[in-house]
Amino acid sequence: MERYLLTILILLPAVGALAAAGHALAPYRRESHYRWIALGVSLATFLLSLLLLRGDSASAAFRFEQDVNWIGAIGARYHLGVDGVSLWLVLLTTLLVPIAVLSSWRAVEKRPAAFYAFLLLLEGAMIGVFVSLDLLVFYLFFEASLVPMFFLIGVWGGERRVYASVKFFIYTAVGSLLMLAGIVALWAYFDTFDYPTILRAMTSGGALPYGPVAEFWLFAAFAVAFCIKVPVWPVHTWLPDAHTEAPTAGSVILAGVLLKMGTYGLMRFNFALFPDASRRFAWFFVLLAVVGIIYGALVAMVQPDVKRLVAYSSVSHMGFVMLGLFSFTEAGMQGALYQMLNHGVSTGALFLIVGMIYERRHTRQISDFGGLSKPMPWFATVFVIASLSSVGLPLLNGFVGEFLIMLGMWTSDFRYAGWMNPRVMTMLAATGVVWAAVYMLWMLQRVLFGRVRNRENARLSDLSWRELGLLAPLLLLMLYMGVHPRPFLSRSERSVRLVRERVVAGEAGGQAQLRPRGAGE
Amino acid sequence: MISCLAMQTLQQPDVNFSLIMPELIVTVAGVVVMLLDAFQKRGRESRWLTGGVSLAALGAAAVSCLMLWDDGTGEAFNGMIVLDRMRLSFTLVFVVVSALTVLLSMIWVEWERLPAGEFHSLLLFATAGMMLMASGGDLVVIFLGLELLSIATYVMAGFRRTDLRSNESSMKYFILGSFSSAFLLYGIALVYGGTVTMDGAAGTTNLREIALRVGQGPYPALVFAGAALMLVGFGFKIATAPFHVWTPDVYEGAPTPVTAFMAAGPKAAGFAGFMRVFLIAFPFVAAVPAAMELHSAWLRTLAVIAVLTMVVGNFAALVQSNVKRMLAYSSIAHAGYALVGFVAAGAATERGAQQEAVAAVVFYLLAYAVMNLGAFAVVTLIARSGDRRTEIEDYHGIGFTAPALSAALTLFLLSLLGVPLTAGFMGKVVVFRAALDRVGEAPGNWIFTALVVVAVLNTAVSAYYYLRLVVVMFFRERLTEWAAPRVPVSIALALLLTAAGVLYLGIFPGRLIDALRVAQPVVSQLK
Repeated sequence: MERYLLTILILLPAVGALAAAGHALAPYRRESHYRWIALGVSLATFLLSLLLLRGDSASAAFRFEQDVNWIGAIGARYHLGVDGVSLWLVLLTTLLVPIAVLSSWRAVEKRPAAFYAFLLLLEGAMIGVFVSLDLLVFYLFFEASLVPMFFLIGVWGGERRVYASVKFFIYTAVGSLLMLAGIVALWAYFDTFDYPTILRAMTSGGALPYGPVAEFWLFAAFAVAFCIKVPVWPVHTWLPDAHTEAPTAGSVILAGVLLKMGTYGLMRFNFALFPDASRRFAWFFVLLAVVGIIYGALVAMVQPDVKRLVAYSSVSHMGFVMLGLFSFTEAGMQGALYQMLNHGVSTGALFLIVGMIYERRHTRQISDFGGLSKPMPWFATVFVIASLSSVGLPLLNGFVGEFLIMLGMWTSDFRYAGWMNPRVMTMLAATGVVWAAVYMLWMLQRVLFGRVRNRENARLSDLSWRELGLLAPLLLLMLYMGVHPRPFLSRSERSVRLVRERVVAGEAGGQAQLRPRGAGE
Repeated sequence: MISCLAMQTLQQPDVNFSLIMPELIVTVAGVVVMLLDAFQKRGRESRWLTGGVSLAALGAAAVSCLMLWDDGTGEAFNGMIVLDRMRLSFTLVFVVVSALTVLLSMIWVEWERLPAGEFHSLLLFATAGMMLMASGGDLVVIFLGLELLSIATYVMAGFRRTDLRSNESSMKYFILGSFSSAFLLYGIALVYGGTVTMDGAAGTTNLREIALRVGQGPYPALVFAGAALMLVGFGFKIATAPFHVWTPDVYEGAPTPVTAFMAAGPKAAGFAGFMRVFLIAFPFVAAVPAAMELHSAWLRTLAVIAVLTMVVGNFAALVQSNVKRMLAYSSIAHAGYALVGFVAAGAATERGAQQEAVAAVVFYLLAYAVMNLGAFAVVTLIARSGDRRTEIEDYHGIGFTAPALSAALTLFLLSLLGVPLTAGFMGKVVVFRAALDRVGEAPGNWIFTALVVVAVLNTAVSAYYYLRLVVVMFFRERLTEWAAPRVPVSIALALLLTAAGVLYLGIFPGRLIDALRVAQPVVSQLK
């Protein structure tokens, strides 16, 4: 069981997708059956994924490993495993998918069988991305997650869905194809796709089979793919379109999980495989991160569309994650990982909330709303909580992540380019928090408070039990992660430390070393 | 001198029929099908008979080919016919292509009321020609195979006699095809002249002999010019830019099953002949400066052609409004990707590495054949009789009306694009590997990184036009009446086989890749 758990987690949603699609052929089918199938399968996946917390979940080693031969002729192995970096991302995925299914309960009337089938396929692919330890398998899931999302946006999206879906696909495909070239090049150098094997070969003390120039190109091939996925300014332009046009469930998954594939990939592959290039070009990424934080916030401020505003706020928040990663401090990197989860929870909740109001009013323009807190008090409450979590109010989850990231960057003694001072960068990033408060609170004020100017808004029904129920786990998580981050951070601590050591170990010019650390240190 | 000639005539001819079994079977079957057709009453059932015989013959050819599989390498007919893994694997590709074309053509000959027997016998002769191109160890045999293939294909392209577009296609193909054959023939003649030796012995058309004589004779420039002309001739056949101009018109006008065949079969056969001639006759020989020069010249030319082919094919495909034209340009682009593997094979300095690169190209062409024929199977069905519905507009909104057909077409398009878990993806991976293996072997080999990057960026461009078809099928609404076509048994079978093939080659390609290469390199073991 232990060996096959990850495979089961990947295959169960895929089987559910087949069941939903196959059910379309059954004689006794009813429209409601599909969503029950989807809900059942995704809940079962979530419950099974909780088993990942069993055992020594704080260990830095890969657990639940499965390593079997896949294509012997080219040395590709089916190698899965989970460590502290990927553990919470898997759980975030399995948590968000049933919520996404519930959010589509009434919203998706067109071709529900195909909709839920794609959603479940997407879940399998996303889990696969986070747990694959073979580069070819990783690439496979990375690309495979593209196709269902493409269909989700293209078939069930808004008015400009075709444009948005094609843009999404092409942008991300350009990046990932470059990564494919990088992966094949690594394969040519090491004759294996297996990530731990390559890592062992790199750290065993011998000289690398390529020079610093080749390392730069390999690093760039991976980094471009991940930066487009994150997305880092200036390759972020696919994101506002995709988020705005996607159906609610699609936006939740896109913001909650798909973006994290980028930052996860940087941490797992770029840092570990190319530590020298990562250090050498860290200044560049710090710069992009800070620009992204400020740019995303400023553009979010002027959006007339609530969903687009949330989308741009993602650019800003993911900038923080990038900043934390490239601070090369334990606090910063832990904060980055934590912020990935926070962003998934709070932005996911915001997209759900926007979707709920869109279902009622079929508009998302801020100017169409006003004074919604009177007809919809529950709605207003959850909207305020989710927004404050996104802003980073203390006692809510966003604060912990952003604080750790800025602490990490502030205390970073890493030598970036000569002119770059980590403290100045931190201060610039901190303005992003202020901007976030401005655009979020201003939006809340215009949507929720004041007089009800539009008569159509006066008779809106408040949230149903289903809607409250699907938001409840996210709201509870915001509070819990805000006051008690320990269980989350402690499990990722040692894995993150391992990554950090791999990156900074060569800084003094010595040989990079991978030392497993005991718990007592 | 006279005694020497007498000795040669007395020599036992080097005949070995078992070595040419696949070619024999297919040729005999072609004659049998022609006779069956002549002596049978024209009826609806005749297509099942001739089709069945053709399929049986192709199956038998495949079996005889597999029986030769483990026989190692050899020669017969005084070096005219060679036996090696490359020939056999190409032969299998041709058998697959022809068998699927037979399945595709079944419903089409019925719709158009065309003589099935004639079509099937032409197809078998074309197949025999393709096989000879792969098995020839001599320029003359390769040329004969090429002509056998070409003449059969000219007729097939114009098979819908009453249709102007089909006539135009056939005519264009014939004129430009003859033109390119002439290039090839001139090239062969010049090489023959260039391989005259210093001591006055006659020239040669045997590939291995040529390799030994490059740079040894009194007229080294002739070999250079001959190689250049042959490069143009083969370039025409496999439709590389800038020799691709005939392709879109011919592919668009020809009946859809014939287009499917032309894009997969003759292209692969062209590659077989091209690679055989250039890899064996003009190899890398460190000791002979003239041979080195020739080798690096054709390699560089081919690298440039590969880049041009990928770029032209993909960018021209972007603006097409006709599905067959789009797939025609896409086939040009795919020839470019395969050329990357060919160049890698040419640059390989050791035999094992070269065989690996050749295996990568064969795998790529097989994957391309399967996914392309699958896509054309759907296109045939949607086009209906007379090839009327081949515009992209005709695909609007059919996705949820004909879900099985559209899902199949989507699978093939994603595979052509190179999405993981499909044959096209694995093909790209192995070809890129073959190219990147060359990096660092010689100072100028950074060019292979450039080739792979160009290929990768082109793949991203191709995403746009492949996805466009998916987009109109699933994301747009149909405005006019449209009923999903009934899927006849033969096409259903073809679709099942190709879809299964695309997934099999994409998920479990290991055994095939292993079988294609002779030497088993050490894999997944670190040095």
